[in-house]
Amino acid sequence: MVFSRRTGYAVGCLILMALVMVSAALAHHSFAVYDHTKTLILNGKVTKFQWTNPHAFLEIDVQDAKGAVKHYTLECTSINMMQRLGWRSNMIKAGDQVKAIAAPLLSGQPGGLLLEVTLASGEKRELGVPASNTFKRTAEQE
Amino acid sequence: MKSKRVLGPTAWIVCAAAVLAPIAARAQQASTPIPDITGSWERARDASIPAQPQPPLKPQHLKEWQAKVQAARESSAKGEPLADRATACLPEGMPTMMGATFPLEILQSKGQVTIIEEAFTQIRRILLDRPQKPVDDVEPGFYGHSVGHWEGGVLVVDTVGVRENVFIGGGMGSPGVPHSKDMRIKERISLGANGILRDDITIEDPVTFEKPWTYTFGYRRMPGYTLLEYVCEDNREYADEKGLQKIRIETPGR
Repeated sequence: MVFSRRTGYAVGCLILMALVMVSAALAHHSFAVYDHTKTLILNGKVTKFQWTNPHAFLEIDVQDAKGAVKHYTLECTSINMMQRLGWRSNMIKAGDQVKAIAAPLLSGQPGGLLLEVTLASGEKRELGVPASNTFKRTAEQE
Repeated sequence: MKSKRVLGPTAWIVCAAAVLAPIAARAQQASTPIPDITGSWERARDASIPAQPQPPLKPQHLKEWQAKVQAARESSAKGEPLADRATACLPEGMPTMMGATFPLEILQSKGQVTIIEEAFTQIRRILLDRPQKPVDDVEPGFYGHSVGHWEGGVLVVDTVGVRENVFIGGGMGSPGVPHSKDMRIKERISLGANGILRDDITIEDPVTFEKPWTYTFGYRRMPGYTLLEYVCEDNREYADEKGLQKIRIETPGR
C-alpha cells in the first residue's frame, strides 16, 4: 500500500500548505464577496472618489443605451498600497469620465472590486489588488 | 614521582581552552558592534528564510482551529467570507504585526527600540536592558510588554502580556491561531551579511502548544521610503447578524 500511503502524505502536505498559506497571505481584507469568474467594463461619470483607509472607493454613474443611469460603488485597495503604486488623491475627481474594469459583487448589488481604471486623461492604472490574477478578466460591457 | 602528576600537557591545553573559550566568545560578543537597523523595511522572500511551519497546537486546540479554518474556507468559497479583525478595523498586534503586510519602520534610541508597522499605525516598544515583568503584572494588550538586550549583533527580545483574543496570523476571512494569556514570544533580530534583516520568532505557550512554535520573518531595506499614515477611517465592510463580512454600497440620493 505504498501508493496510498504516499497519496495520504501528499494530501496531508497539501492541507498543511493550505493552512500555512492562509496565515501567511500578505493582505488584510478578504475579497471573497466578489465574483472571480467575470469582470465588468463600466464607462461612467465619477460622483465621488473616497480617499480613505482601510480602502478607497470610487462611485460612478453608468448610463445605458436608453439613457437610464445606474450607480456603482467600486472598492479599491488601501490608499497606502495605492500611493506606493504612484496613486494620488487628486487623480480622480467628481465629474471625471472614467472606464473601470471591476469584478462584480456576487450578491448582485451594483458594486464591484476595481481592478483597473482608465482615467479621464487616458492613463490606465491598476489598483494593486492582492492576487489580482485570480480574477478572470472577461470584460463584459455594462 | 611521575605518578603524582595530576594533569598531562594535553589535559592542561584542554582545560585552558575550556576556560578561555567562553571568555573569548564573550569578548567577541562585546566587541561586535550593535548593527544600525534604523529605517524602513519590507517583508522579503529570501532563500535564507525558511517557510513557516504549522503551529504545534495540542490535539484539542488543533482540532478546533482546523475546524474554524475549514469553516472559514467553505464560507469564503461561497462568496460569504466570515467577518474577522480586519472587518472591525482592528490592528494585528503581536506577533502578527512583525509579518509586515505593510512596511515596518525601526527606530533605535537610547534604552529603546521602537517598531512601527504602517498598517493601522501599529507601534511596539522594546525596552532595553530591563527585567521582564511577570505575566500577571502586565495588563493584557495587543502588543504586550517587550524587553530586550543586545547579544553581540543580535537583539534578543522577550514579550509577554498579549491578550488571548489577539490571535496569531489569520485575516483574509480566516481565523488566527489561538494562544493563552501565558504566551511568551522570544525573538532574535539580526542583520545578515546579505542585507536581510531576520526576526527569528519562538512562541512558547505550554497551555496551547505541544512545543515552542518557531518561524522566521525576513525583511529588506526600503531606501528613501518614509512610512505613510494609516487611519482606519471609514470601513465600509461590516459584520452582519450572521457574522459574515458584507460591504456597504452607496445609495444615490441619500
